[in-house]
Amino acid sequence: MLPNRSRTSVLVFLLPPLLLYCAAVLFPILQSLFLSFFSWNGISDMEFVGLSNYVRMLTADDIFWRSFFNALIYLAICLVLQLGGALVVASLLTSLRRGRELIKTLYLLPAVISTVAIAFLFVRIYSIDPVGLLNQLLHWVGLGAFERAWLSDVNTVLAAVSAPEGWRFTGLYMLIIYAALIAVPKELEEAAVLDGANKWTLFTKIRFPYIRPVWITTTIMATTYGLRGFDIPYLMTNGGPGQSSELLTTYMYKTAFTSTDFGYASTISVFIVIECLVAVGLILFMLKRKADS
Amino acid sequence: MKKLLRAAAVAAAAALALTACGGGGGTTDPANVSPTGEVKPREISWLLSRPADGAVINIMKKLADDYAKDHPGFALNLITTPDRPSYIQKLETLAAANKLPELFDTDATPFAQQLAKQGKMVDADKLLKSLDIYDDYRPGALDYQRFDDGSLYMIPFQFELEFIWYNKALLEKAGVSVPKSLDDIPAMCTALRSAGITPIAIDGQDRWPLERYVAYQPFREAGPDFVQKLKKGDASFKDAAGQKTVTWMAELGKAKCFQDGFSAQGYSDAQNQFTSGQAAMYNIGTWELPSLATDKLNPAVRDDIDFFTLPTTEGSVTAANEFVSPSGIGMAVNSKTYDPLVSDFLKFALEKYPAEYAATGALSPTTNVQTTIPANATPLYKKALETANGLGSKQAMPWDTQLDPTTNGRLQQELVLLVQGNITPEQFTQTMDNAIEQNAPKFFK
Repeated sequence: MLPNRSRTSVLVFLLPPLLLYCAAVLFPILQSLFLSFFSWNGISDMEFVGLSNYVRMLTADDIFWRSFFNALIYLAICLVLQLGGALVVASLLTSLRRGRELIKTLYLLPAVISTVAIAFLFVRIYSIDPVGLLNQLLHWVGLGAFERAWLSDVNTVLAAVSAPEGWRFTGLYMLIIYAALIAVPKELEEAAVLDGANKWTLFTKIRFPYIRPVWITTTIMATTYGLRGFDIPYLMTNGGPGQSSELLTTYMYKTAFTSTDFGYASTISVFIVIECLVAVGLILFMLKRKADS
Repeated sequence: MKKLLRAAAVAAAAALALTACGGGGGTTDPANVSPTGEVKPREISWLLSRPADGAVINIMKKLADDYAKDHPGFALNLITTPDRPSYIQKLETLAAANKLPELFDTDATPFAQQLAKQGKMVDADKLLKSLDIYDDYRPGALDYQRFDDGSLYMIPFQFELEFIWYNKALLEKAGVSVPKSLDDIPAMCTALRSAGITPIAIDGQDRWPLERYVAYQPFREAGPDFVQKLKKGDASFKDAAGQKTVTWMAELGKAKCFQDGFSAQGYSDAQNQFTSGQAAMYNIGTWELPSLATDKLNPAVRDDIDFFTLPTTEGSVTAANEFVSPSGIGMAVNSKTYDPLVSDFLKFALEKYPAEYAATGALSPTTNVQTTIPANATPLYKKALETANGLGSKQAMPWDTQLDPTTNGRLQQELVLLVQGNITPEQFTQTMDNAIEQNAPKFFK
């Protein structure tokens, strides 16, 4: 318990960031909520339309649902690559004796490259005419039948735009999980090994439960980042061909700044906020329940 | 992400500004083109979407400097965003915030028409007439800037002609000749493909180049009115002209006219394919003359390159000398900030501009000057410029300047799917007619 005076001073120091947070995060969210009940193109008079934007979004907009499911697939691919990849690499790293720093740096490198550069890089990698790296590799290993214009094929484009985002942050999450893994007490592991635990048991019964809090945090981070994914798909395909790689975020952006339908775009953004909150709630709920059992 | 954040910040600022000033419109009369009073030099801004080191910007900079010599304190602040989609977003956000600068670029889009209706732009028809330069302009250059009702609110700075450039050697190799009709093109593509040649190089990433193609058949079949009716829902893709273009686009796709994976390829990718001799045809305007009709062009293809204008069709209602001849994005004058200074500067600049512009080898939007052909030009340069003299009175409008923005976005997406064969012509027709029905009323009330 802090003495009274210092509690006041703590509050005084906490107040500015709280205000900043309200101004930068809460206020825009509330404003979007407000705008979502209006029809407004930026230069016309704002017209109150009640819930009709929500009705249109949920019942009459095929692109909205398409982009929602695209966003879920995008999220799934990102999570598998980021969390799965990070866990595998981090586990392998702990058993490495030398060269750890070098590998960590190499894996982290994509996270510091600018998004625009990554988007351009991958456009080249996926290209068919002129032949890009991916198609060239397929050709060399004798899988020439799989060569295609990855970003123009409606069946592959979504995976193709998700992969760079996943690849990009694998290193970052790897670093966090690696830090957690090396903090697992050696005595525990040694005791388990003496009791006859094999590597898999060691991982599932000792290591993973130990890093669970960190795992929850990284999952939440990766999920919210994934749900907010925008830049790479927008830069690589602009949602195309058709709506094959349209995400909720890119759709919202276009609705606001191309169609100048600010009211409806706000409705979509309110949905994105709710979706993120629900996702985080679900993750906490599931992982908590698992930890309790 | 940065782009999104920036856009969000601008939007938030816009919303704040709007609540602050209650969305007030222009305070001055848009028809009052000769404001009275003293010319008080200050800094004025021009928000524009033109290449940063292009002729228009360089000349206007120079003219502004000249003007500042006699009017100390004057400066022209040029804020350019060459990437058109980003520019439009910027413009629309600033318009929403009621923070448009003295001069700004826009096409004759439905959005611009709303701005004009709200009295936010100076009447360019009256402005040019009051400066006594109206008659110098090519009628086509002004027509391109007009809204459907014939009113004029933007001033053109360019005049371009769009041609289909082709590689004679590649056509010969495939045993095909220049198409006499638009309907010949699919068969031509098939022949070129079987000779191992990419028929048409296209910039799919920017979307407008493919959208040009959808405008061609209706322009020949029903004239320039079709798109004006279509965008309001008074015509439909189910009509004869609409069906013709839908089927034709599907045929182009089936004949594999465009390079593989075109939808992810950019402007320079497409141009490189053509100038390196891989693709047989390339649809682009005279703004590319410096790279297609001078010694900058790859020597290996230089003697093989030629162009033809948009082919007609059987029973075509428009003539062979009528095609896409845009005068580029126009400049609008903000009526709220229009004062003796802006008026005086425009008078100074617009009178001197054409001569300076023609000297760079480009086509002036006016007819009172002669374009200088650069020393390194190929004979094609002259041929291209001369085509401008024999134009008919109608012109094909690019659809991206005509449709409401939501329908336009949807059309651009669906066209790729149609050409790639991912959807049928029937599905395309249905989706687009629905899109127009849903979105047009908001813009064309």
